[in-house]
Amino acid sequence: MRLFKHSNIDFLGHRRKFYLVSIIAIVIGMAVLFTRGIPLGIDFQGGTEIQIKFQSPIDVSELRNSMDKAGFVGMEIKSMGSAADYLLRTPLQGEGQTVADKIQAGIKENIPDKTYQVLQVNKVGPKIGAELRRNAIYAVVFSLLGILIYLALRFQFVYALGAVIGLFHDVLITVSAVAIFDAVFPMLQLEFNQQMLAAFLTLIGFSVNDTVIIFDRIRENIKLFKNEDIEDVMNKSVNATLSRTIITSGTVFLTVLVLFLFGGEVLRAFAFAFAVGVVTGTYSSVFVSSSIVVDWRHHVLGDKHKGKIAVNTTKS
Amino acid sequence: MKKNLFRIILTVVFIAAAILYLYPTYQDQQISKELHGLTGQDSLDYVTKNADKIKKSRDGRIKLGLDLKGGVYVVLDVDVVKLLQDISKKKDDPTLNQILTDLRSVPETSDEPILNLLKARLKEKGLTLKSFYGEIRDDENDVEKKLSTEIDNAIDRAVEIVRNRVDQYGVAEPQIQKIGGKRIVVELPGVSNPDEVRKLLQGTALLQFQMLKDPETAVKVMQNINNVLVGKGVTDSTKTTAELKKDSLKKNTESLTSKDTSLKESSGKKDLKKDTTKTKKDADKKSSDTTKKKDSDKKKDTLSNIDTGSASDTSAANLSEEEFKQKFPFFYLVRLNEQSGTADGYVRESDKEKVDLILKREDVKAVIPTDVMFAWSQRSFETGGERIYTLYCLKKDAELTGKVIEDAKSNIDPQNNTPIVTMSMSTEGSADWARITGANINKRCAIVLDGVVYSAPVIRSKITGGNSQIEGMGSIQEAKLLEIVLKAGALPAPLKIAEERTVGPSLGEDSINKGITSSFVALVLVALFMIVYYRVGGGIADLALVINVLFVMGIMASFKATLTMPGIAGLVLTLGMAVDTNVLIFERIREELGSGKPLRTAVDIGYKKAFSAIIDSHITSVITGIILYQFGSGPIQGFALTLLFGIGANLFTAIVITHFIFDIMLEKGRHISIG
Repeated sequence: MRLFKHSNIDFLGHRRKFYLVSIIAIVIGMAVLFTRGIPLGIDFQGGTEIQIKFQSPIDVSELRNSMDKAGFVGMEIKSMGSAADYLLRTPLQGEGQTVADKIQAGIKENIPDKTYQVLQVNKVGPKIGAELRRNAIYAVVFSLLGILIYLALRFQFVYALGAVIGLFHDVLITVSAVAIFDAVFPMLQLEFNQQMLAAFLTLIGFSVNDTVIIFDRIRENIKLFKNEDIEDVMNKSVNATLSRTIITSGTVFLTVLVLFLFGGEVLRAFAFAFAVGVVTGTYSSVFVSSSIVVDWRHHVLGDKHKGKIAVNTTKS
Repeated sequence: MKKNLFRIILTVVFIAAAILYLYPTYQDQQISKELHGLTGQDSLDYVTKNADKIKKSRDGRIKLGLDLKGGVYVVLDVDVVKLLQDISKKKDDPTLNQILTDLRSVPETSDEPILNLLKARLKEKGLTLKSFYGEIRDDENDVEKKLSTEIDNAIDRAVEIVRNRVDQYGVAEPQIQKIGGKRIVVELPGVSNPDEVRKLLQGTALLQFQMLKDPETAVKVMQNINNVLVGKGVTDSTKTTAELKKDSLKKNTESLTSKDTSLKESSGKKDLKKDTTKTKKDADKKSSDTTKKKDSDKKKDTLSNIDTGSASDTSAANLSEEEFKQKFPFFYLVRLNEQSGTADGYVRESDKEKVDLILKREDVKAVIPTDVMFAWSQRSFETGGERIYTLYCLKKDAELTGKVIEDAKSNIDPQNNTPIVTMSMSTEGSADWARITGANINKRCAIVLDGVVYSAPVIRSKITGGNSQIEGMGSIQEAKLLEIVLKAGALPAPLKIAEERTVGPSLGEDSINKGITSSFVALVLVALFMIVYYRVGGGIADLALVINVLFVMGIMASFKATLTMPGIAGLVLTLGMAVDTNVLIFERIREELGSGKPLRTAVDIGYKKAFSAIIDSHITSVITGIILYQFGSGPIQGFALTLLFGIGANLFTAIVITHFIFDIMLEKGRHISIG
């Protein structure tokens, strides 16, 4: 069975259009991010949250009332999929877990007829929150840097740059997608927590795979087609690897889709970010990274020798 | 073929190793399944009968993270501000207190060390650190350095106190880690009451000096316990008791030495005295001498024991191991050493729990006098492959609490190069101490922190003035630990809970089920796709997938890694990547086939050409995996670890295993369809 037979698409010729698509997506995403902010989970925000499951469904307003009476006015209350599952969150922490205890006391006092089960309690101090936040940013930056250095050694700096810009593009779009989906579908519980960070880093590692495989083919083809225009060589390479790119991205997408749908709430945010990331990662590998290499050489390095772009071939 | 032979052997070895490492996990599951069906006495019997098996499988199994099992995760911060307040020489100074109160909110948001902030604030007001924490003549920098060490030490004390308490609390597989030199992470799987945990971790440490019961009384108490266990009344005739005592002691020493070739450590008693008159070397020599003698004695005894084992002598010395166990169940668990002249009971680590259970029994409690308590040693020594703990019989009422200690210091005694610990007491404490030591010369006094005995030195002389010296420690580390413990009485380490997470067991169960089901579904879908799309090739790739899972789990078991929910996700992703590698190779082979090459050549070229891309893409994943491990915490590290293991396993299965399967099939002239 074959899904893609000898495609011959002029990817690089249309690169302006693809840049435009990417830029529009990023601009919209940034607009949402700046107006709404990044939805931070308890890990990065600090505070106390408690997840409870009532024996029978209960109205949100009833729960909110009980919290108001207990002194937690404006408590964040989220439904977790059903009318019996709720997540209550407040930026307060208090010593020990006293805040969580007070919340529970408030429920018991004001809704005495409903029994419930505590599924999870999290308390994160603001310093830890700030630290985790900082570590998250470091982690993303260092990963990109690490990949930049490795690819610069294996290929050429321009290629490394193209790949990393592509990755940065993926991260931006995925962050935006999380923010947008959180705004539209709050019940999905998409927040930036530690697991989401894991999704992002894995995504970076995974998304660069496609790019590396295309670059690997370019490196090989440049040796084979020494006198051809670099754009043609690149197009050839992207086309030759297209079937692999789509099949692997497809299988991984399928995997995370299953995790997203059936993996339960713990894995949902992780799977969502990864699923979006796989799509944009594939897009950037095919449409963006190679294009950036070409344009960087043309405009920044002023390279007019179209056909003779050397790739670091000694180490292949 | 030779090349393939090597690959096949390697593969078989790895698969065997993975199965070997995974066996305890499987066994553990079987055991819990069997236990599930048993109740009451049956389950108790099962546990006793299979104790070794259970322990082994438990040690070797893949551990489940808190998110899967439920439990409490706590991050503790040492409250430096409180510590600075406590150790200040002018506790009531309003300026200092004002500054410290102001600083209280700072550590929540800033990374700047409190000490630096305090110094800066004091400077603003024209004050110095030394005016609050040192003497006028002291150098300001020295005072600062001293304070900074004091803060570091507070963390060590806190770790020791926390570890001690968690051990006593009896949680299975607790984890206590010092992170970044300033924080303690405590993981308590299976615990669901955070309130209890908070009390456990945050309460003030209690350091006490308690006298040991004299050996005669202690042995008598133990005999009574033994009698309860064998169902005899407590009020046996004194004659029998005396006989019993003699016999059981004899037997005990025997069995201990038959396992223990060096009693040095256990009998190397510590001395507590005012000044050094007797050197440690002497003591060592003596104890090793006695050990030697004991050893030779023992050999004779054991021999005669075997010879006359079946004789109808009622003496305990001639009882077989099994009979001894029957007649003296308590002394079978708690071995005494006659020659040592003490009533220290030596208990194997694996028997500790049993002894605890016995001591908690109501009928046993009834025969323990109200002024007597049993306490475990913190230290253990190893003999015959088993860790041995000491059970001490103490007077319940403390002679003195650690509050009277002003300072403690571990050191090397310049006279004989052995580690010692010196401690000084407050004037008030010194007077009490002089009285206590004076009245108990040549008796032993235990240093007990939160109910655990850290040291039980012999009082050599009356100690006036409060300056005492403890010697007989095996190493400088041991001395350092004792210093930390003694200081815990003087300077409690104030702890603050910075992060606390409780996962209810039901959430854990729920997420396990969903996680595993969805992972399985995802896997099956991908495997099906591979077979449909790549036919035989896809089938081979699927086989590699299964081996891949086996490898990753095997590596996790061998590293004693913890499986977390994100870890399961990591495993699934790894499999996605494993498929990727195979797809890459197959597409390459197809391309070569498309250009008219025969299958054999196409396969070889396909593998060869795909290689550099495979390496590059795996290394970039390794880079992100390592960074994730560095910067992530808890479950995320679990994820990073599975990912890294997966990448390794993947490289092997894709490059080695599928390749030689292809080779062999081609050699046998089979046609392989790759779709």
